[in-house]
Amino acid sequence: MTTRIRHRSLLALGLLGLLLVVVAPFYYVATSSFKLPQEVIAQVPTLFPQSFTLQHYEKLLRSSNFPTYLANSMLVASGTMGICVTLSTLAAYGLYRMQLPAGKFLFRIILVTYAFPGVLLLIPLYGLLSQLGLVDRLVSLVIVNVTFTAPFAVWMLRAFFTAIPGELEEAAALDGATRAQTLIRIVLPLAAPGVASVAIFAFILAWTEYMFASVLILSDANRPVPVGLAGIIGQYQVDWGLLLAGATVTMLPVLILFSLVGRYFVEGLTAGAMK
Amino acid sequence: MAIHTSRPTAHKDPRPKGQFVRWRGRSLLGYCFVAPLLLWLAATILYPLGSAVVLSLQNVQIIGTSGTFVGLENYLRLLSSHNFWQAFGRSMVWVLGNALLQTLAAFTAALILNQRFPGQRFARIWIILSWIVPTVVVVILWRWLLSSSGVLNYLLVWTGVWREPIGFFGTANAATLSVIAINSWRWFPFMAVTVLAALQSIPSDLNEAAAVDGANAQQRFWQITLPLLQPVLFVLGLVGTLLSFNVFDVIWLLTGGGPSNATTTLPVLIYETAFAQYRLSQAAAISVLSGLALLLFAALFIRFMSPPQEDEP
Repeated sequence: MTTRIRHRSLLALGLLGLLLVVVAPFYYVATSSFKLPQEVIAQVPTLFPQSFTLQHYEKLLRSSNFPTYLANSMLVASGTMGICVTLSTLAAYGLYRMQLPAGKFLFRIILVTYAFPGVLLLIPLYGLLSQLGLVDRLVSLVIVNVTFTAPFAVWMLRAFFTAIPGELEEAAALDGATRAQTLIRIVLPLAAPGVASVAIFAFILAWTEYMFASVLILSDANRPVPVGLAGIIGQYQVDWGLLLAGATVTMLPVLILFSLVGRYFVEGLTAGAMK
Repeated sequence: MAIHTSRPTAHKDPRPKGQFVRWRGRSLLGYCFVAPLLLWLAATILYPLGSAVVLSLQNVQIIGTSGTFVGLENYLRLLSSHNFWQAFGRSMVWVLGNALLQTLAAFTAALILNQRFPGQRFARIWIILSWIVPTVVVVILWRWLLSSSGVLNYLLVWTGVWREPIGFFGTANAATLSVIAINSWRWFPFMAVTVLAALQSIPSDLNEAAAVDGANAQQRFWQITLPLLQPVLFVLGLVGTLLSFNVFDVIWLLTGGGPSNATTTLPVLIYETAFAQYRLSQAAAISVLSGLALLLFAALFIRFMSPPQEDEP
């Protein structure tokens, strides 16, 4: 009995610790973004807001370029998502459902590119994109982001695609369905959770990417959120209220998307390493 | 891989060709599915990789200008450069520090989440929170929490743990520790969910049988759980190292590589050399050398750390 109580309290303590480490910082940032400036920088921090204001959000959305950044990021993230999902689902179908003689080899190549450190490509990719005249264009960010999301996406899709029974496809083939029809009508609907989590993964990564965006985008009007917000960090004498509001708005789309497919996302994330 | 060996459709194939031709046609179609991605990766990884090597043998300063062939000059200059070796050392400290801290945090979190408690399904998903949030948010969050008048310093002084507010990014050592801790905070959930998934794939009767035989929790962890986790830990060790070497934005946005270069790891050095000092070829040479070092690491890691039975994809 006593060991049971000890176990319980240890578990509770551990969970409290996790909550404090993982969730509390976000709670504090989000709630503080609604506090009056004097409370934001008050000597004694307040766990529960004592004041309420939307002035930081107003400043963010009215008198900074933040709305432009948001629109740019939306474009880049959606574009990345569309191309990444198309390329990775096609590849996953070929790799996992069609028994290619060189399938294993191709899978390995894609695995290598997934772990490939992108920073090593910073210089040459920048060179390539500037030769193509794509510097300071949002499409350059889409190109880069697809490169760094698609290989991992193929990996994530693996568990979802291999779980589909082969008989289903055979039955469809017997009924005269072509490969493309089988893919669209049978496999994709069954792998939908996987495709959704890949889409979210691509969106989130493109939404987050900073390094390439900071060198490929030159004009303020084309900046995505991370670069724009980082610019605000250094711009004024630090206006924490404004930055906290910016941080909150920036993580909002990610949180909304994640709450929709979080379970499949984590499943897909771990499935690759598990096999 | 797909289990798709029986082909009941064979007799329905309209083409009166032999077995071999049909089989080849099928895999040709398969390659067509994989080709777009492979071409994309060839154009954006393989080709740039080649051009990085070419660039590193020239003396291009700013992008768009042309350079002349200078052979190994950039490499020789780097190999005798104090800055390069210092950044190399810092990258090693960075990777090791991150590995250590993340492994510790991830195992603790995974072992906690592996227990049964109300809300466990929810917790096992949302643990990943700090990993999915954009870096710039992470940076704002920690710069604020760790500022001299921030909440952490307030708590440290208030509880009497420390006499006066700490400058978390003020000194070389403090800044190094801070960026490693913050990056680990961001990345440990990724490792935690993977370890957790592996833990849950361990059949519970193994542990129960060991418990019946009188093994205590600690013995069960070291004798049963850890060996069974080895394949997953191998993948995490390899991929995690490469991914954490790659981290640039957290460091750059927190410290800008400072104070006095204390947090200038190789990625930061590459970035600075190319876009602050405008020595593109030099930066390309750093990239190539870093790539070779990582390749060597990966080869050694696979050679010596591979789990006993080879895992086939």
